[in-house]
Amino acid sequence: MSRTILITGVSGSLARVVTELLSPGNKIVGVDVRPLPPGRPFEGEFHCVRYTQRKMTEIFRSHRPDVVIHLGRIRGTQVQSSSYRYNQNVLGTQNLLDLSLKHGAKRVVVMSTYHVYGAHQHNHVGITEDHPLRASQIFPQLADAVELDHTATSYLWRYRRLETVVLRPCNIVGPSLNNMISRLLRARAVPRLLGYDPMMQMLHERDAARAICLAVDSERWGIYNVAGEGAVPWSKAIEYAGARAAPIPHFMAYPLVGSLSALNLLFPKHLMDYFRYPTVISDKAFRDDFGYSPQYDAVDTLRSVGASAAWHA
Amino acid sequence: MRLIKRLLDTVTKPLPEHMGARLREAAQVDSGGYDPWGLHPETAERTLRSMRWVYEKYFRVRTFGIENVPTGRVMLVPNHSGQLPLDAMMVAMAMTFAADPPRIVRGMVERWVPSLPFISTLFNRCGSVTGDPRNCTALLERDQPILVFPEGVRGSGKTYWNRYTLQRFGTGFLRIALETKTPIVPIGVVGAEETYPAIYNFEWLAKLLAIPYVPITPTWPLLGPLGAIPLPVQIDIHFGEPILFEGDPDAPDHEIQAQVDEVQSKIQRLLDEGVAARKGLSMLKLLPGGRP
Repeated sequence: MSRTILITGVSGSLARVVTELLSPGNKIVGVDVRPLPPGRPFEGEFHCVRYTQRKMTEIFRSHRPDVVIHLGRIRGTQVQSSSYRYNQNVLGTQNLLDLSLKHGAKRVVVMSTYHVYGAHQHNHVGITEDHPLRASQIFPQLADAVELDHTATSYLWRYRRLETVVLRPCNIVGPSLNNMISRLLRARAVPRLLGYDPMMQMLHERDAARAICLAVDSERWGIYNVAGEGAVPWSKAIEYAGARAAPIPHFMAYPLVGSLSALNLLFPKHLMDYFRYPTVISDKAFRDDFGYSPQYDAVDTLRSVGASAAWHA
Repeated sequence: MRLIKRLLDTVTKPLPEHMGARLREAAQVDSGGYDPWGLHPETAERTLRSMRWVYEKYFRVRTFGIENVPTGRVMLVPNHSGQLPLDAMMVAMAMTFAADPPRIVRGMVERWVPSLPFISTLFNRCGSVTGDPRNCTALLERDQPILVFPEGVRGSGKTYWNRYTLQRFGTGFLRIALETKTPIVPIGVVGAEETYPAIYNFEWLAKLLAIPYVPITPTWPLLGPLGAIPLPVQIDIHFGEPILFEGDPDAPDHEIQAQVDEVQSKIQRLLDEGVAARKGLSMLKLLPGGRP
């Protein structure tokens, strides 16, 4: 059965893996606020558009997608204004969900993140989906990510005719990904906080893409954590990726990362605590309901990222 | 790091290989060598081993009835004392060096511990986890041995006059034991109560510094860092027989309290008998207060 699948954030590197898996037998319509990277092959129609723009409506009118995969959350950087992120992530998501409802989409898969749970010293291990989304209290900079998640979940409960799946994955990394954590692991020297070494879960890009496909093909709906197999301390993660850890005392790291991220280097300051306190999620529900089982464990995943580092070659 | 490891291996003997293997197997680690809470059996074994002389030579620890500890899930419940968690360390070491099979105990630590650099990481690698009931339940479901001090800081922070007198027990541990059908092993730790004889606790200073207590001992803070060295009291660990409670984990407090009291009185008896059975008359025994 051929479906029309609308994918947001399609210029991103994860969307590339997802599109490869979904394009046989399906019609893909890709949208993104960014243009497609030059030289990227894309089987389907692409539109460069903001999710809040009127043009978005026209895309829904003319294609009437059966499934919408929302991968287009804008990641925080200090240089982007928070109002831009709020508009794209919260208002944009709401617009997409409204359009999906209006134009008869059957399913929506929304990619949230485990960051919404917040890195906190009181976190227990195996955080389930009903855990409060503490991030907005700890890091106001993540409020847009939390509200995106809330918007999706409120539609999930209110409009049952639109089958909604909200996925909250752990760190997604992989050889072809260009997200913050993969870039970090591909560096020669990777910062870590001296004296802190939280356990981290790593989801391979292929497993992440497969999880999205499972969510697309199933008839179940709900909110689900997605994790890879096993967890490793951040220092070990760096080691498996083949890099060298550069320990920085935490009282120095906060101002340092703050000033670097103002120049759009490294990663936003508010993500620092994820390298200090563990945020280990449980994906038992997703495994039980969707028959998901990751094919890569944390060690394989990290090795694959390390092997893709340019300086290795 | 590698140098420290090699140095340790030459100074202290590693556990026999078959025991090490059993230790790792019981810990149920992932392919990376860690469990989700951050336990790393090799680091745990090595850390405990590096402290072995403290256990064997300094505190001359003796264990009684350690064969009472069942295999599989179990909750170890000792009395708490001595300002620093030396009693927890000694029980953990007894479980690794004297128990058969050797086990890595999972200590439930105070919620502020994760904010401490180095210590939090070392504690995690050695098996400790944040004292959250959800951590406790999940670990018991993985058949791990849990070490819990229901007295909390009320026990460890008490002054010398209250030695061997149990402080109020929380009820949470018993509810978890009921819910997960876990046997409770009452433990009396004799001796640790005298390692730091606290004369006074500066409560207002503790509140100001947001820490549980600020004790004054005959040597601390008078002698500075030297004063933080514990007195070399012999420590006896008495393991009681396991108790498997039955009942509703959501029963009101007064019903749970009866079962908590039973655990508490078992521990008190182990303590009383343990103190009475000690040979010789230590000078500290002459000081007023405390039981026997």
